Amino acid sequence: MESILKILAAVSAGLTLSVLIGQIVRTLGFGRLPLHSPPHGSGSRGILYAFGQGMMPWEKESARKHLITYTAGFGYHFGIFSGLLYLALVVVSGFAPPYAAMFVIRVLMAAGLVFGIGLLIKRLGVSAMRSISCPDDYTANILVDLFLMLALLDSFGLPVRVPLLIESIFMILYIPVGKIRHCFFFFYSRILFGFFYGRRGVFPHPRTSERDVK
Amino acid sequence: MNQAPDNSEKDAYAEKIRALSREDRRVILKTLRERIHHDFAAQLQTCAHCGLCADACHYYIKDKNPCNIPAHKLGLIAGVFKTEFDSIGRKLSGFVGGRRLSNDLIYEWGDDLFGRCSLCGRCAINCTMGINIPYIIRAARGAMASAGLVPPGLQSTVDTAIEKGNNMGIEKADWLETVEWLEEDLQQDVDDPAARLPIDLKGAEKLYTINPREAMFFPLSISAAGKVFYAAGESWTFSSANFDVTNYGLYNGDDEAAGIMSGRLLESVRELECRELILAECGHGFNSNRWEAPEWLSLKYGFPVRSIIELIEEYIRTGRIRLDPSKNTKRVTLHDPCNLVRLGGIIETQRFVLKKSVSDFVEMTPNREQNYCCGGGGGQLAMTRFAERRIRVGELKAEQIRATGAEIVVTPCHNCIDQLMELNKHYKLNVEIKTVAEMVADALILDD
Repeated sequence: MESILKILAAVSAGLTLSVLIGQIVRTLGFGRLPLHSPPHGSGSRGILYAFGQGMMPWEKESARKHLITYTAGFGYHFGIFSGLLYLALVVVSGFAPPYAAMFVIRVLMAAGLVFGIGLLIKRLGVSAMRSISCPDDYTANILVDLFLMLALLDSFGLPVRVPLLIESIFMILYIPVGKIRHCFFFFYSRILFGFFYGRRGVFPHPRTSERDVK
Repeated sequence: MNQAPDNSEKDAYAEKIRALSREDRRVILKTLRERIHHDFAAQLQTCAHCGLCADACHYYIKDKNPCNIPAHKLGLIAGVFKTEFDSIGRKLSGFVGGRRLSNDLIYEWGDDLFGRCSLCGRCAINCTMGINIPYIIRAARGAMASAGLVPPGLQSTVDTAIEKGNNMGIEKADWLETVEWLEEDLQQDVDDPAARLPIDLKGAEKLYTINPREAMFFPLSISAAGKVFYAAGESWTFSSANFDVTNYGLYNGDDEAAGIMSGRLLESVRELECRELILAECGHGFNSNRWEAPEWLSLKYGFPVRSIIELIEEYIRTGRIRLDPSKNTKRVTLHDPCNLVRLGGIIETQRFVLKKSVSDFVEMTPNREQNYCCGGGGGQLAMTRFAERRIRVGELKAEQIRATGAEIVVTPCHNCIDQLMELNKHYKLNVEIKTVAEMVADALILDD
């Protein structure tokens, strides 16, 4: 049973990856227009900014104002990636990470779970958040939280391997369906963001010393 | 969230939307599809509804109505995208936030995308994902425009510009007469009968444009620019036919109309054999003509397009003009126009120029690309149906100004000036509102 589920998990991952790539290809199919206006700054520097400095709370007011939510979001995603790494280890079998690595994975998954539940509570409890949410938002969060919980329990040797694999298959297959597809589109959008503002010379910021009048 | 008002409401705009047919909706969808390229398509699939954009929006900060949350406004468009253009979204429409383009939804588009957004872009730079929300909203506005559903005040501004050549409908004779008496004023001011405000000077180095409101209501800002050009010994000219830097096509989303308006300036540069297009202090005029027009027209201009404040910076740095900041002793603060700064990339130039022109300069908080919109952008000043909202959300800007203790607010944008003047009156700020060139003109040291 467990072996079959592992195979199914691997197959679902392959399938999901194919669908996500298909979605990216389809998105590219919407076409692009060549740019004619001359740049004022550097698109590539803007992209570097978008994935580095531009993600930092001191650069982004929304992150500063909502530092707890922003931190929770980061922690949640680190936890998810750790959970997926753990799942990969489970599916591949035979490979046992060193104790220290396993400890870090457990801590990240536990933190991710706490943050995930916290974000779900916020979505349910804050009326403004409810107003911008749809069933997909709740479903995605619950599926991922459940995955993190089962992966965490499994990592401690509790007998949840079969439920973990079944839940993982559902979660992986759900990725392209709704908002979790942002795991791919985040990078796409962030590149576009960096290119747009980099080209226009808005980001990256001039260093403070450059801002002063000489 | 917003429902089309019931039949008792005498609102021609709402009535027009209520009467839309399936064919009308098909036209809107077709235009929307044409306006969505891979960048918008990717971004419309990216929003995770984290809600962190909410407090970046001046509408939401001042009015906690959920319709003001940028993610909500984006969702109005993303919902249609999912239902109409995404195969999975189509099958699970309601579950993933998809919505059919009904007349009720179109009314929401009208109220929220036109009436609760100044396209300032503050949400975009604060978005966790980096979604270009204002440009996607502009695309949806363009879809509305294709069905004649732009709120009347905004559309009539575009129509006037297309028909008359400028958005105030100024006749050529009136324009020429205005320049003539401003030239006489300049000659007296600089005590030089040879001082000129040239019109249609073929072969001039630079073609200078204005916001038509300057000619109608703020001639001093034209005089100021003329005085700076005079001091710098610049070779420049106005065009008698095409002098309007504004382009409300940026705001109604109609690329075709926008292209016509900007194309006229391009035409004048070529006809007058100028080498550079210099834009008056106008935020959206800068974004339109510097960044967007080459895309609307699908061509490379082959000559530089700059704001006059960039040119003034060059004059100062190269010593073509000399300034005495002690001539401007009142405390001055700067309002950053969204289209020039956050969307235009002109961030430090105006600071450099002002610090050379005034002796007491103080920044607003926040400033630069994080500055709050004054509330007048996005065509809000032209849409009287949203005027009350515009003044209400402008309170944020009024608070920013008051906190600086400044006596003069400088802004390189005539749209912003209009809104700031209203805020000045409504919130009793007791400040003067001026352009950068006006401050520079007052600080000029003219050689004897």
